[in-house]
Amino acid sequence: MAKNTSSSAFRKIDVDQYNEDNFKEDEADAISATVGPDENEITTLLTQGKSVEALVNVLQNAPLRCKNQHVKDNALNTTLRVLLSIKSSQMDQAVEALEQNDLLDVLMKYIYRGFEIPSEGSSGHLLQWHEKAFAKGGVGCIVRVLSDTNRA
Amino acid sequence: MAATLKPYLTAVRHSLTAAMCLQDFPSQVVERHNKPEVEVCSSKELVLTPVVISRNERERVLIEPSINSVRVSIAVKQADEIEKILCHKFTRFMMRRAESFIILRRKPIDGYDISFLITNFHTEQMYKHKLVDFVISFMEEIDKEISEMKLAVNARARTCAEEFLKRF
Repeated sequence: MAKNTSSSAFRKIDVDQYNEDNFKEDEADAISATVGPDENEITTLLTQGKSVEALVNVLQNAPLRCKNQHVKDNALNTTLRVLLSIKSSQMDQAVEALEQNDLLDVLMKYIYRGFEIPSEGSSGHLLQWHEKAFAKGGVGCIVRVLSDTNRA
Repeated sequence: MAATLKPYLTAVRHSLTAAMCLQDFPSQVVERHNKPEVEVCSSKELVLTPVVISRNERERVLIEPSINSVRVSIAVKQADEIEKILCHKFTRFMMRRAESFIILRRKPIDGYDISFLITNFHTEQMYKHKLVDFVISFMEEIDKEISEMKLAVNARARTCAEEFLKRF
């Protein structure tokens, strides 16, 4: 016979977690080996004035699939440094170069991440970047930032 | 300051347009329920990446999209105590009447002053571009409204003080 009990803890059990069709994040392709952009290389490129090349480099090596938050934060800081060092007159040229390399979506991801940590004057600059990137990439560019699971 | 307002609003407008691609989506957990996934967060795959757009340290917009709803939270600029109080009163006044604003959320998200919750039912009933326009014009208006109220409060305080001090 069932034992009578006043405990109602069983009601709190999440039975849905045992469903077979539950969504699981793919853990198989956790590439933790990616270390992100090489800071020294970026610094040399920046001091030589090749900021567009630095931007392409930093976005190409973006650790998007990496699971380590620390690596991502480092990459974010480096990318922001590059983004803020590029003047508004050079932006068109940079966006053009990025479009040829299919890096516009990655750029958009970093623009949005940059908005999360506003500092003096950075937001205004990033807004300009957003405008230029949007002019080139369109709404699709933003939608891909929203829907991609590999976050910057 | 005025130089960043326009790009800020256009950035918000484009992001909202992108985020407002909503479709009907019944709950996966409870039969015959249909709730905004951004609020219940029942599954990770249904909630998309939240994005922030900031104009400066204090003014920013958080857009949290999901499959059938998008939550837009706005942080309004508050330079001093009066603006803080006015903003609080103003947003509270509106959130108490959230039903008449249809898309207004009854409570703001932590760290923001006012939130909107737009579901697929709203985008079905109303034009999407008009909804985006509403949010944008709201953001323009609230700044204007608060600075106007601040001026009115100051003017009133000045007249009161004058009247009071006439006796001495």
